[in-house]
Amino acid sequence: MRANVLRVGIVGLLLSGLWGGAAQARTLDTAFGEVDVTGTPERVVTLYEGALDASLAAGVTPLGAVTTRGGDNVAEYVEAHLGDERPAIMGVVREINTEAVLEQRPELILAPARLTEAQYRLLSQIAPTIVPHSQPIAPDNWKDEARLYGEALNRQEAIEVAINAVDERAAGLASALEEAGVGGNAFVVRWMPGGPMVMSKNLFAAGLLDQVGLTVEDAGLVGERGVHSDVLSLENLSQVDGDWLFLATLNKDGREALEAAKQSSAFTRLDVVKRDQVVPVNGQLWSSANGPLAAQAILDDIEAALLP
Amino acid sequence: MPIRVAHQRTQMTLLLTALVAVSLVSLLVGAGEVGPLRSLAALAGTQDSDASFVVWQLRAPRTLIGIAVGMALGVAGALLQAVSRNPLAEPGLLGVSAGAAFAVALTLVMGASAATLRISVAQLGALVGCLCVLSVTRVRGVGSDPVRLVLAGAAFSGLLGSLTSLMLLYDQRAADEIRFWVIGSLAGRRLDDLAAMLPSMLVAAVAVVLMARPLAALALGERAASGLGHHPGLIRWCVVACVALLVGGATAMAGPIAFVGLVVPFVARAMAGPDIRRTLWFCLSIGPLMVLAADMIARVAVAPSELPIGVLTALCGAPVLVAVVRARRLPSL
Repeated sequence: MRANVLRVGIVGLLLSGLWGGAAQARTLDTAFGEVDVTGTPERVVTLYEGALDASLAAGVTPLGAVTTRGGDNVAEYVEAHLGDERPAIMGVVREINTEAVLEQRPELILAPARLTEAQYRLLSQIAPTIVPHSQPIAPDNWKDEARLYGEALNRQEAIEVAINAVDERAAGLASALEEAGVGGNAFVVRWMPGGPMVMSKNLFAAGLLDQVGLTVEDAGLVGERGVHSDVLSLENLSQVDGDWLFLATLNKDGREALEAAKQSSAFTRLDVVKRDQVVPVNGQLWSSANGPLAAQAILDDIEAALLP
Repeated sequence: MPIRVAHQRTQMTLLLTALVAVSLVSLLVGAGEVGPLRSLAALAGTQDSDASFVVWQLRAPRTLIGIAVGMALGVAGALLQAVSRNPLAEPGLLGVSAGAAFAVALTLVMGASAATLRISVAQLGALVGCLCVLSVTRVRGVGSDPVRLVLAGAAFSGLLGSLTSLMLLYDQRAADEIRFWVIGSLAGRRLDDLAAMLPSMLVAAVAVVLMARPLAALALGERAASGLGHHPGLIRWCVVACVALLVGGATAMAGPIAFVGLVVPFVARAMAGPDIRRTLWFCLSIGPLMVLAADMIARVAVAPSELPIGVLTALCGAPVLVAVVRARRLPSL
């Protein structure tokens, strides 16, 4: 009896899904013109870390995804949002394995803004391919991109909820930090053996630091379009000597990068190091990822490091 | 002949004076805001903690390391050229440095990081690189043609370079550290690195002193050398070991730096004449001069950042290479 009810229910759900899907054909404004998408796609391939993040936030586990930069799988923070099913790896974002995409027989492909036209032509023959408009680097780009992906997935509401949750959490954290008297300026750097690279203040993570009340600076070392500076001379380390220093690394353990940096006497004599206000962070998350889930993970890091 | 010797003595004095001057300037200039005047004051002992830190903790170590690296690479180049009888046999061009860098990258990927391990590993890699080069010179037709040897070396370096890139792909977490082993730099190296390398430098120095006379005899031809009571095969092995110690040590300190081993002996021969014993002495002062000068330009050219030193040595080394090759008759050694 129960099984019967269940069966009827499932059939009903499927039918309503079909019917509803057919009714919800929509046209999206993408970098390569207007793209029509119908229904609520379940077979999705994401070719961009931000797309994977948005898709998971919207409740869809993609069949395929690209690796995080500097890794051979999806970013570690994503693990917590994956169930038993893991996305297959479609290559790296700069080198997408088109055959692997074809193998998944996707209904929808969510691609990065910097997808080339040649790649687009190939991929759009497999399934409708959503490419966001490329914009100048800005901390809030991810919201527009996530909304576009959400619309393509027919899960606009879930994305809206996720974005609002980030803004609310950031606002809450900002007032908590203000109460605790934590503030000031901050630099985000990647440590290299010859010295640090200063990350742009227009990056995703920098935007979140701004939102919680810190002032992210780059000492004028990063150009408008640059993601990071050249390797800064050790003689000029004092230029990144602010109130907080976020030390990003692609190493699994940010502490290793901190240990490496501490071998340099130019680093250990910085005020920010003496005050112990250096925060080692995961570069996969801080300098490569974006999206509502990544934002929550970064806010977790900030809360753990800055709230007394 | 006495006139020539006296002339060379003046040249040597000039070179040593220039070396002292360049070392001093190397303490005074940098990419940072501590300018020459403040640095001078710090050297004189004024209470300026920033300036004295920059001068003593940052610039002094890299100056000393630059001197050591320049000596090692210059002498290694002269040795390799003498034993292969080829004026283009340069450790960087022939893949000896690439062998050292590759060996270090390999151990980094496999999880090693101890500083002392690095030096022996780099020296082992350099040794393998040396042996490959010398076995190529034994191939009929290649050894007698200096340019072909360089082509073979370029192919070998390319192979090692692609293998190193493969490792970068395989393990991108080590990428930052390995990148250093691809370009080379004097920035951020510590005196500990130099201290760890000194023993093998000393061993190589003693060996070179002992070998100078047999090497000079070898320049007369294998038969003549045997006639004078030397063992050409043994000399060759000793030279290879020395080159491996020197290049491996230099690469472990500063990464692969190409062309120093070409330019320095080239200039030294022009000043000292064909005798390898004099050439080696001149290399000892010209090598540091070249490395320090390149490093200073690397520091100030793109301040507040720095250039990799290998870019600058290549900039001044490549024209020398072309000049040597284009000379009507390649000098054979």
